[in-house]
Order: sequence, then structure tokens, then C-alpha cells
Amino acid sequence: MHADTLFSQPHWRTLNALADTVIPEDDYPSATQADVGIYLQRLFSRELKSQLPIFCLCLQLLDEEAVLLYAKGFAELSLSEREELLSKLEKGENGTTWPMPPSHFLHRIYHLVAEGYYSDPGNGGNKNGLAWKMIGFEVTA
Amino acid sequence: MPDYDAIVVGAGAAGTIVACLLAEAGKHVLLLERGRHLTNADVGRDHLRNQRLSLYGHNAGPDIEGNPRVATGLFGERYLVRPHEGGYQNNAACVGSGTLVYGGQAWRFMEEDFRMASLYGVPEGSSLADWPISYADLERYYERAEWEIGVCGDAESNRFQAPRKRGYPMPPVPPTRSGEVLARGAKTLGWNTFTPPLLINSVPYQGRPACVQCQHCVGFACPSNSKNGTQNTLLPRALATGLCTLQANAMAARVETDNRGNIFGISYFLEENGHIELVRATARFVVLSAGAIETARLLLLSSSRHHPNGLGNRYNLVGRNLQGHYYPGAFGLMEEPVYDGIGPGVSIATCQFNHHNPGIIGGGMLANEYIKLPIIFWKNALPPDLPRRGLENKRWMRENYRRTLHVMGPVHEIPSPQCRVTLDNEVRDRFGLPVARFEGIAHPETVKTAHFMWGCAREWLLASGAMKVWGPPPGYYLSAGQHQAGTCRMGHDPKTSVTDPWGRVHDFDNLLVVDGSLHVTNGGFNPVLTIMALAYRCGEYLARTF
Repeated sequence: MHADTLFSQPHWRTLNALADTVIPEDDYPSATQADVGIYLQRLFSRELKSQLPIFCLCLQLLDEEAVLLYAKGFAELSLSEREELLSKLEKGENGTTWPMPPSHFLHRIYHLVAEGYYSDPGNGGNKNGLAWKMIGFEVTA
Repeated sequence: MPDYDAIVVGAGAAGTIVACLLAEAGKHVLLLERGRHLTNADVGRDHLRNQRLSLYGHNAGPDIEGNPRVATGLFGERYLVRPHEGGYQNNAACVGSGTLVYGGQAWRFMEEDFRMASLYGVPEGSSLADWPISYADLERYYERAEWEIGVCGDAESNRFQAPRKRGYPMPPVPPTRSGEVLARGAKTLGWNTFTPPLLINSVPYQGRPACVQCQHCVGFACPSNSKNGTQNTLLPRALATGLCTLQANAMAARVETDNRGNIFGISYFLEENGHIELVRATARFVVLSAGAIETARLLLLSSSRHHPNGLGNRYNLVGRNLQGHYYPGAFGLMEEPVYDGIGPGVSIATCQFNHHNPGIIGGGMLANEYIKLPIIFWKNALPPDLPRRGLENKRWMRENYRRTLHVMGPVHEIPSPQCRVTLDNEVRDRFGLPVARFEGIAHPETVKTAHFMWGCAREWLLASGAMKVWGPPPGYYLSAGQHQAGTCRMGHDPKTSVTDPWGRVHDFDNLLVVDGSLHVTNGGFNPVLTIMALAYRCGEYLARTF
């Protein structure tokens, strides 16, 4: 993924790692491989512009949670470590103070990543329509 | 001399029909539409901005900015909502309105739907009433709508349908795999099923081609111009007379009354090339067809010295009895794929539970759902116990998008006078007009019926072989949305109704309401064919009277 001017480098790395935890790679692409990053950039530069600061704060807190638990940044964790951390946060087992229950932030992210992955490629994600191919949604006319 | 014989506000399901009938009867008509005249390219295929999923906007209006409304929470808290947000109760703002982007289910109401109070009594706290007209009064207008706008369907197989004199002009859409699976399930239950009627060309009709079975039907414009709205049927007819002027981008501001309180025209904001101009047009008759929310709002906005509470609102009834459709339903996971990609996708329905359900007032129709966009599927159709992340989620989508059935249907709601549209004088739209404010939540009997229908949907799926069934039971909220109705109900008594049985607002000879606002109750069916039939009836009558 290329760097992004909306997000700082650390936030962007965390966001990408988070997106690829939401939709990891198998024989179909991961979220960022399917350009969900481009979808998110577009969204945060337009419709969700005003929400950028709160998302960045939460990304930083996610990173801090990773450091508390594993002494590594979120993007440095293995997939299973990231999943373990998300499970804890979803259950409200956070180690630092959040502006909202972490599960709220996480579910918001899950939706945004799914939007990029499963919506029409015109929105920036779902590169080459592979998500539709994967599930069997074919546009015939 | 007035500028026009009639001004019709709203080029949607009803207004376009009234305008056409008047123009064909030789009247000069001005047809105003707040939205734009959209092409297919304008509507597009954005999966996140459409009439089915409007996360970040709409493909057929209204625009996000400048068109707010005010919703009321369960504890009375008020909050501002924009058109794409929950609680806005949106319907498309464009020429054709919802008929440009609908799924086009073309139901006649049943005989019982017109006399709910007589059949079931009046539940406490409700305003349940009989219609002032019967199914028989509307039958020939249903037929006219079916033939002139174009409906395909099976006129024989619905055991519960009201009597009809004539079949449909087109055969039903072909069966789909989901429909076949659900038909087998219904058979084991002894339920009667059939292909639902649709305002879609199953074969070429009236010079336009047959449906190409695409996957973007409901929520989008038709790629082959085979879906029949008013914008591609009655509107061209109206314009062909040379007597009807369509003015898009024209937002009605008020119905004008003279110093004796008589109606003489409309003031509207016309937006052209970024400029907004207030225009006044005079007419002998004014017809409001702006939908149940905006029609009520316009009557309330048109208060004057003679009509301090708004037009037709002497008894504080305008805006009350707002209703729509609860849509209980359920998902079922099948062993084999049931998705075949053949649009529009809705292909089986039952009217087994519209009436005569023990302990239940009314009921509703059930049908399978249209082809579901993948992102809508992800957001709404996943089982509650499935993680929303990780490979488990991804694999579930991969394995089960094509194996999931969705059955649902509209509930015949029990109207409540507490459910209403008023004006919010503290919030203005981009023209400076007070916006619509909503109050109230569904009557408990509506929720009870919805819960019953939810159970029927689950039963149908299980009988059809579903290994697992899910989907939340109905909750409590204000229901209106695209099926909005009831805010200017018709009747004989001015103390309990806003218009007479022809849509004429009590107290006025030359002011009519013709749209879903007239519905006394909204049936357990998609309401558009009834809105169209009423428009034919009221429009024909009006054309005869002057």
C-alpha cells in the first residue's frame, strides 16, 4: 500500500493491518489487496472527513493496546495475535481509556472494510470485481 | 384568466397520472416536480448510494444538503435527519419519483383491506377505519393501471385475490430457483403461492422491450427501459398532448389563497442554473400529489388568515395517521445454492396470511426478496452468531451468498393518530421553509401482526428445507418510508377525514389531494398500484367536473 496524506504513516499502517485482519487473504485477496485502502481514502476525504480525527485517535489507541499486550505495534503483530487482541477489545477488555467502547469503533471499521470489499468497484475497492466473483454475484446486464 | 386549468404538485406515481388524464381531456396542466429529470446514467449503479442502501447519499434524490427533516426519539428527543439517514422516511425526489427506481410490485388490495374496522373492530388508541370506497369502486381503475402502465402477472393462481374482470396484459416473470424451492416448501404446508404481479415488461409491451433480468432492479433505474414507471408511460402521453408542462426542479412553497380564502394557485421555488426564483402560477384547480409527508407539509405550510392551521386542517387531522409498512422477514440457509442470478429475483408470493388469522388484526403478503446486492447482504443478511471479521466471515460469504433465502412482506398497519407529520419551525430547508417533523411510533397491534408474520416467514423457510433460520423480530418505531400513506385520509365526514372520496379537500371545491395520503389504511401489500388506481379514479372524476 502506498502512503496516504490523510492519515499519518503510523495510523495508515495500523488501518491497513486492521483492514487485513477484517478480511484476510486466502485464495481471494485481502482487504488491502482488493484496494479497500483506496475506498477508505476516498471516504475519509469526503463523506467521513469530519470523523477523521476520532478514527485516528482510535487507531492510535489500538496501537497502544498492542504495545501493552505484546510490546509491538498492531501492524507488527501476527494475524493470530491481531485476532486475539480484537477479541479482547470486542469484549471490553481494554487496557487503556477509549472515547467509546472499543467494540463500537471496531464494528464501524468492519462495516467500512466490508463496504470497500463488497460494493461496486466504482467506489474504489473490490478490485476487478473479485469479491463478487468469490461469492457468485455476476452482473449480466 | 388563470395561467393553467390545473397545477399538479409531484410527478410521481399519482401526480403524473392525474396530469395525463387532465391533459388528455383538453386541460392545460402545469406538473411540478421538486426533483430532477434523471437519466439512467444519472441514477447509476452505486451500491452505497441508492434507494435500497443510502449510506452516503441517494441516486434519485433528495440531495443530502438543504433538505433536512426532524425525527422524534422514543423519549421525545428531537434530532435532525438528512435524506440518506435513518428516520428520514425518504421517497425518491425525481421525475417519476419512486416509480423510476422501485421493484414494481403491482398489488391490488383485497376487498377486506377497505373495511378493516368493520371486520376487526377499532383497537384502543388506533384510528382504524373503513375506506369510504370499496374494492369494487376501485376495480376498473386497477385494471386501467395494469393495462396502461403495464403489469405482468398470473391472474389465476392467487386463491385469495379479489375478483377481477380482466387478466394481466403480460404473462408473469419466469420462475427462479429460489421460487421453486419455496414453492415446494409452501406445498408441504398447504399454502397457496403464485408469481407476484410486477410493473415490468415480461414481454415487449407498448413499444418497449422485455426485461433483461438484470441484478440491479429495485433501487435503480432499468437498463432496458422495461420497468414501467409513470416517467416512461403516462408522462410521455401527457407531454404528447402539448397541453402539459413539466417543470422539474420546482419546489412548491405554498398553495395560494385569496383574501376570501379561496385557492387560486401555487407559489414554487424554481431552481435553474444555480439560481433560485420564487414563481407564482395561478390555476382553477390545484392537485397535491407530493406523497404522504410532503403533501401534508404543504397543506400545513399554506396557512393563511382564513386557514390559520393550514388548509383542510380545521379538525387538526392533516398529517395524522402516518403509516407505511413494517417488513418482517427471515433468512434461511439452504443445503444447495438457490441463487440463479435471474433478476428481478422476486418470483413467489403468498396471500395466505393477509386476513383471517386467529387473534390477529389483518396480516400481510409474503414474498421472496429481490436479488440482494452483496454489500446489503453483508450488512443485513448475516446470521447473528457469525463473526463480522476474519476468514470465517469471508468463507461464509463465499459459501452462502448463493445458499441464503430471504422471505419478507409488508404488514397491514393499524393506524395511530399519534403517528404524524407536523412542521418544525426551528429547522428550515434550503428555501427557508419549515421542514417536516415526525412524531409517534407504531400501534402495538401493528407490531403484533408483524411478529405473527415474522413467524410465518420462518415457518415457510423451515418447510422449504432451511437448515438454519434467522433474522430479528420486529421492534417499535415510526413506520412510513417509501410506502408512506394516510396523512390526508379520505372519508365522508370532515371531522374524521381530510378529503372526500374523490380526493377533494373538505371546505374547498378546487383543491385535491391525490396520492398515498388518501389511504385510510395501507393494505398488506406494496401500495403503488392502489395509489395509481386512486389517481385514475380521482383524475377521471376531476377531468369530468370542469
